[in-house]
Amino acid sequence: MMRPAAGHWFLLPWFLGFFGLTLGPALASLVLSFTAYDLIEPPRWVGVANYVRIVTADSKLAESVRITLLYVVLSVPFKLGFALAVAMVLNRGIAGLSVYRALFYLPSLLGASVAVAVLWRQVFSGDGLLHQALLLVGIHSPSFVSDPDYAIYTLVALSVWQFGSPMIIFLAGLRQIPRDVYEAASLDGARRFQQFWRITLPLLTPVLFFNLVVQTIDAFKAFTPAFIISGGTGGPINSTLFYTLYLYQEAFGYFRMGYAAALAWLLVLAIAAVTATAFLTARRWVHYEA
Amino acid sequence: MFAHAALCTASLVMLYPLLWMLASSFRDNADIFTSLSLIPAKFDLAAYARGWRGLHTGFGRFFINSTVISLLAVIGNLLSCSLAAFAVTRLKFRGRDLCFAMMLGTMMIPYQVTLIPQYILFLHLDWVGTILPLVVPKFLAVDAFFIFLMVQFFRGIPKELDEAAVMDGCSAWRIYWNIMLPLSLPVLGTVGVFTFIFAWDDFFGPLIYLTDVEQFTVQLGLRGFLDAGGTSDWAAMFAMAVLTLVPVLLLFVFFQRSLIQGIATTGLK
Repeated sequence: MMRPAAGHWFLLPWFLGFFGLTLGPALASLVLSFTAYDLIEPPRWVGVANYVRIVTADSKLAESVRITLLYVVLSVPFKLGFALAVAMVLNRGIAGLSVYRALFYLPSLLGASVAVAVLWRQVFSGDGLLHQALLLVGIHSPSFVSDPDYAIYTLVALSVWQFGSPMIIFLAGLRQIPRDVYEAASLDGARRFQQFWRITLPLLTPVLFFNLVVQTIDAFKAFTPAFIISGGTGGPINSTLFYTLYLYQEAFGYFRMGYAAALAWLLVLAIAAVTATAFLTARRWVHYEA
Repeated sequence: MFAHAALCTASLVMLYPLLWMLASSFRDNADIFTSLSLIPAKFDLAAYARGWRGLHTGFGRFFINSTVISLLAVIGNLLSCSLAAFAVTRLKFRGRDLCFAMMLGTMMIPYQVTLIPQYILFLHLDWVGTILPLVVPKFLAVDAFFIFLMVQFFRGIPKELDEAAVMDGCSAWRIYWNIMLPLSLPVLGTVGVFTFIFAWDDFFGPLIYLTDVEQFTVQLGLRGFLDAGGTSDWAAMFAMAVLTLVPVLLLFVFFQRSLIQGIATTGLK
């Protein structure tokens, strides 16, 4: 093959990025998490003080963790449920499949933008679109975004609304299931409902597993919608204080870089734990044979 | 028939807020809070004019900034990721497999872990307040996922092609530039489109790195409308929101196939 030296030149950009922007910073943030650092004074070693504060003395963080978990637990199942339901309807050999698929995917495509977040804020505000629509049927609704009891659900709704990308993955998975499996099953007298539980769902578990892991990780990392809808505060009364938003406030609002680094590592550990649990339990419910 | 009716209704309900925003961008502020209709009474472009003029800085400035950052990100990712992918699929050198394993490993590292030291690094380089922190990393192949996508594609290109080129005395650079890249347009397109959309939609990066309003991207510019306080100009904000969605929509229309395929096979957003 070619001159061996060339390989190293081709890899140079990646090499710089890997050590300078990924591995180096990842290790640095681990060290930083044992310090107090406000960007002005040099970092001061504080041992495990940041972690002790995380576990014992930060009630705002506890609230933030609760909100984030609530968001993950509510948004992921509903999102995947809608995605699977719509994918199954689309998979029944419907004419205009690609048009429907594009329409249902649009919210996912646009959902990450600030444009959609500001729209969402209007829709769920005190005199917003939903309020007007509910007035037509005689319901006087509160301002969802400024009511601490409801604000988080507007974010859940925003996430569920973007079921398009898991739907596309489900659809790709459904198309892999051979038609004759269903034909054989209906000859044996299996009804639709049984076919779903006995054939579709088991054969779809690898795709379901993939969607579950990806969407859960994404939900843990959600930031922009909560930032825009709460105006950067995580309010009202911390009811939309996503973990990432709290981390942002600690780092770039109060410049507690050491504490924020500890928070970041905790998030990584949480995500790693969730992913590891998914993979460890996969053996019991994910069927890889076709 | 029933399925079509259900799907049409469902997609209309889903798209209703977006269509309503489009309609509202032609209304004046008073009507926005009273009209549920998807068809504005008149096509009044006043809100577009107000929004484009902006609060302090014109929205045109934000569009230029976003375009520059996104295009640089695309160029950076296409070059750096294809170089790395070419090295691990087509060249032989010591530590190649280890390098590839490390590339795959970085896909698992969420950006929050590297965020704070990166910020401190860029602060010391005096890059905070410039677009460099948003652009330079793209030239250093930090989006390992795209390397992986290209590796998958490069593996499908017959090795005989570059072996024949070596026989003819081609250098590795020539093979990369004149043989591999022209054959890889589909994957380059997919990576380019996703990079553009991600960079265009990025809110967090510009939020922490851009400090001067003159440098703001469209996403930060939109947020500016909200910060104006209680007297938000909703119509102007919706008008500009619609405009910020246009480039993404156009890319979707033209690259629908590769986008959908990219999602179906890799789980990208």
